[in-house]
Amino acid sequence: MQTWVKPYINKNKKLIALTVLLGVIGAGAGAMLLFVSGYLISKSALRPVNIMIVYVPIVSVRAFSIGQAVFLYLEKLASHDIALRILARMRTQLYRIIEPQAAFLRSRFKTGDLLSVLADDIEHLQDLYLRTIFPSILGLTLFTIVAFVFGIFDIVFGIFIILTLAVIVCLIPFISFLKSKKHHDEIKTKRHSLYSQLTDAMFGLTDWLASGRQDKWQQTFFQTDKQLLHAEKQFQHMRVFRDMISQLVVGIVIVLTIIWTSIQTTNEVITPTLIAAFVLMMFAIADSLLPLSEAIEKIPSYTDSLNRMNDVKQKMDDFDHNVTADIPFSNNIQLAINNVTYQYPSSNENVLNDVSFTIDQGKRIALLGRSGSGKSTLLKLLTGIIQPTEGTITLNGQIVNSSIIAKHVAILNQKPHLFSTSIKNNIRIGKQDATDEEIERVVEKAQLTELINELPDGLNTQMEEMGSRFSGGERQRIAFARILLQDTPIIMIDEATVGLDPVTEKSLTNTVLSSTKDKTIVWITHHLTGVDAMDEIVFLKDGNISLHGHHEQLLQTSSYYKNLYAMDQGTFLNG
Amino acid sequence: MNRKKGLPSYPGSKLLYSWIGFFSVLEAIAIIAQAFFLARVITFLFEGQMINEVINDIVFFFISFVVRYMITFSIRVIAERYSLKTIEQLREQLIHAYFNNGTAFISSHGTARLVLLAIEGMDQLKDYLQIAIPRMIRTMIVPFFIVVYIFTVDKVSAGILVVTVPIIIIFMILLGLAAQKMADKQYETYRILSNHFVDSLKGLETLKYIGESKRHESKIATVSDDYRKATNKTLRMAFLSSFALDFFTSLSIAFVAVTLGFRLIDGITTLLPALTILILAPEYFLPIRQVGKDYHATLDGQVAMEQIDDVLVRVNEHKQPGNDEQIKWDQKSELTIDQIRIAFEDKTILQDISFSWKGPGFIGIVGESGAGKSTFLHFLAGFNRQVQGSINMNGQTIKTFQRSDWLDKIAYIPQHPYIFPTSLANNIRFYEPDASDEAVERIVKKIGLQSFVEQLPEGIHERIGEGGRMLSGGQEQRVAIARALLSERPIILLDEPTAHLDVETEYELKQLMIDVFTEKLVFFATHRIHWMQSMDELIVIDKQTIVEHGTHEQLINKNGTYKTLIYG
Repeated sequence: MQTWVKPYINKNKKLIALTVLLGVIGAGAGAMLLFVSGYLISKSALRPVNIMIVYVPIVSVRAFSIGQAVFLYLEKLASHDIALRILARMRTQLYRIIEPQAAFLRSRFKTGDLLSVLADDIEHLQDLYLRTIFPSILGLTLFTIVAFVFGIFDIVFGIFIILTLAVIVCLIPFISFLKSKKHHDEIKTKRHSLYSQLTDAMFGLTDWLASGRQDKWQQTFFQTDKQLLHAEKQFQHMRVFRDMISQLVVGIVIVLTIIWTSIQTTNEVITPTLIAAFVLMMFAIADSLLPLSEAIEKIPSYTDSLNRMNDVKQKMDDFDHNVTADIPFSNNIQLAINNVTYQYPSSNENVLNDVSFTIDQGKRIALLGRSGSGKSTLLKLLTGIIQPTEGTITLNGQIVNSSIIAKHVAILNQKPHLFSTSIKNNIRIGKQDATDEEIERVVEKAQLTELINELPDGLNTQMEEMGSRFSGGERQRIAFARILLQDTPIIMIDEATVGLDPVTEKSLTNTVLSSTKDKTIVWITHHLTGVDAMDEIVFLKDGNISLHGHHEQLLQTSSYYKNLYAMDQGTFLNG
Repeated sequence: MNRKKGLPSYPGSKLLYSWIGFFSVLEAIAIIAQAFFLARVITFLFEGQMINEVINDIVFFFISFVVRYMITFSIRVIAERYSLKTIEQLREQLIHAYFNNGTAFISSHGTARLVLLAIEGMDQLKDYLQIAIPRMIRTMIVPFFIVVYIFTVDKVSAGILVVTVPIIIIFMILLGLAAQKMADKQYETYRILSNHFVDSLKGLETLKYIGESKRHESKIATVSDDYRKATNKTLRMAFLSSFALDFFTSLSIAFVAVTLGFRLIDGITTLLPALTILILAPEYFLPIRQVGKDYHATLDGQVAMEQIDDVLVRVNEHKQPGNDEQIKWDQKSELTIDQIRIAFEDKTILQDISFSWKGPGFIGIVGESGAGKSTFLHFLAGFNRQVQGSINMNGQTIKTFQRSDWLDKIAYIPQHPYIFPTSLANNIRFYEPDASDEAVERIVKKIGLQSFVEQLPEGIHERIGEGGRMLSGGQEQRVAIARALLSERPIILLDEPTAHLDVETEYELKQLMIDVFTEKLVFFATHRIHWMQSMDELIVIDKQTIVEHGTHEQLINKNGTYKTLIYG
């Protein structure tokens, strides 16, 4: 609430007041429509000789009827406009919170879709304003006005009617909020369990079918389903009961109003023509107060979204933003890894253990190792995202920090993000002021020319228009063109060919290697495709360098390497 | 889609609609009674009677008021019961359909979409059945009764109220169409703008690496603002239809009041009927206004209903082996498939597939990406059935692989085997839930997971998968192999199990598989060349059919498709 609701309400106070005002006028016009109609009919029943006596009521009946519709329409527009304004600000704020830690997102949050979930959360919070906050403020304002008006007429009855209406405005919403929280939690848990059970079954369908246990699964699932539906039924019953009580209170309010008007006319405080007016108006007033319970009841459904967003903020804040010294740009860079040891803060095992080697400008290094051997950690260290526990990584003698990423290093990872805009714009992100010629040159280098010539819109083809028609290899090539345009002295490639078939893998590898002369390449790979073109091959094992040398050298000195290479090439040297 | 227009029909729906109809009639009567007694109270008080003289009418008013809402809420309760029952049944049918239609169906529709349909889609349908339908029925009944009653009291007012409805409908249709047109026109802008934020978040890492992430923030603000402006434009139009509804109903009420006023002055009518009509007029419009509000819920519900029906009509007829003999498989068994054609939604994927094999062995399935290797494996695994061709096992002809005694014989291992969120041991004994811990541990040793298990605080009882310890690709494969070994399945189907692994892990897994699968019949789809020499037979699939088969050497010497595939 502190971060994601209050500041936005404060910032938009005036606009919110305007919405509420429009809403009050709209609801007021509705109430006055019935009030004046009742009065008009009663007055007419007295059969005044001069029709001009009812002229004002006749005109105002029409005015109120039009006013009601117009102001409700304006109120709706205004409230949506505010909600969208708030949404825009929330987006910017969320982005501002996440942006500094962008490089860690993957490692800090397990689920890959967290980002879409957050984006959905913001969308969902729109309802917090439209369906809960604005209607609540409106309801309470109306309630206050009614209390005030009746208080002026008759303080005793005013208090009486206010206390009764307060049951609808305060007591019932409060109880329904408390109860709905319990129901909401139960339904949420059950739904969640239904979701995970079903997802589980769909992903593991072959195993369920093969195990012959699908009937058992279905039994459990339908059991959960029954429980969920039961919980929903109970929630629904609570609401029906609540609404019934509310209506009962409305009935009592109407009867009270009848009694009051009758007493007032007997005492000649008001004329009999106002009896119908007051009674009918009370229906309209009660109607506009009833939605409050529903508005309040929804609060628990926003807590998840708010919690998730707070959680992200918390996690991001916890992380210290290391201020970075600028490293002057250079086209000739020597990267040195000096006795680097790394330990994740949460563990006491070394992911990397006293690793040293140097990469001169223009060298091509292949980095291999099993999952968990430390190669991803080494990449993070090289790009300055994390700092070594011991030892240093230097760039032309200066200790690296994350500012080198943008200036000197381009990264091609396994799933590079391509934005939903044109191919050209996607490539241009690499260098905003690139000329068309420059773009065409990198397209050529990434061997995309043929593909692009086949597209009717060429470089202006929208990424998503092609949908999944761009294959994995093609997407990598587009991302690669972007990197070439960036024109950094160092390119790091992080498992960019995983999931590609061998033919595509080989051709992408060839493209990358042939178009990056003079550039330093650090290539993390899982296959040995293209290793013979590398200057050095480094194998990591349990945080240590287990093999290091160039291809020919390793073939001769290591039978392990020889076997691996033989297997990967498909030619068996030793049977 | 051949869905009939009008109210949806599910078991028990006719009865429900009749009940709602019946209750709606009662409700209309209660509404009229409530208005009648209230008008009497007010009129008598107006004429100077004391409160104690009208106490009877007040009581009658209150009773009709309470009865009216009790009826309203009864309708809510019965509609809700019915909808929950229907949802329960439909969800069950849907889940059965998912299971029976098999993996090919699921992957073509997308797991996420089907899960969403079974949960969110069902919720939308529930709301539709529960809220929208009763309101639609009431809209047809309640206003009718009210206006008939008003007609008996005062024809002019009834006339005004009746005429208003078609005006409202015409305006709503016109405005609805205009809003739709506007929304269509803006759809593209809309989609891009609303997508922009998610797209930015997902690409944040990329932007950061390029050094553009800071500057991008202002772009988010601009795009969000553009989005707001575009939405406001559309909303101005879209809200016009509800404006028209409010406008014409309240104007109509005002009109009724004014004409009544004139006739009261002229002495044509009296206060009691006039008040009754004035109280009834908003009630007349209430159901119509509520239906207008439900427009979106109705639309969502109908869409969900169509999608659910669409899945349900496609349920495969069940495939129990019937009177056939049980399939047996041992070291000397022979499997023959002949002239198999496999199609999905009228599109042929494989045809003219014939193949025969006896006893254990490694059968490689090779071909370009998308040639149909996986489809062939899926067919063997019983995920889809042939539309043509026959299967013969040890001389016994069977109709399809989609039978439980065949599924008992096979283990299918995909590239990313699914790891259930439970303990490692339960994952390994997934096919054989009764297997002992000792048996599991024996298998663990055999497949080389021993040292991994020793690191786990809970040993084989450590929770793995989502929410537990995540496994590496190689470990996932080992767990899947362990499952197959523990259940002693004689036939193993592997779909590209090692291509995504690092070469060292692949090397080890290869040694392991060749070792533990020696006595089994293994079908192995891959395009990793190094596996080819270890195969006893290779099946080359190209252009939807088997073009060559034989050992690696034979096929190389043949100089055909295989050789081009391997050497480019």
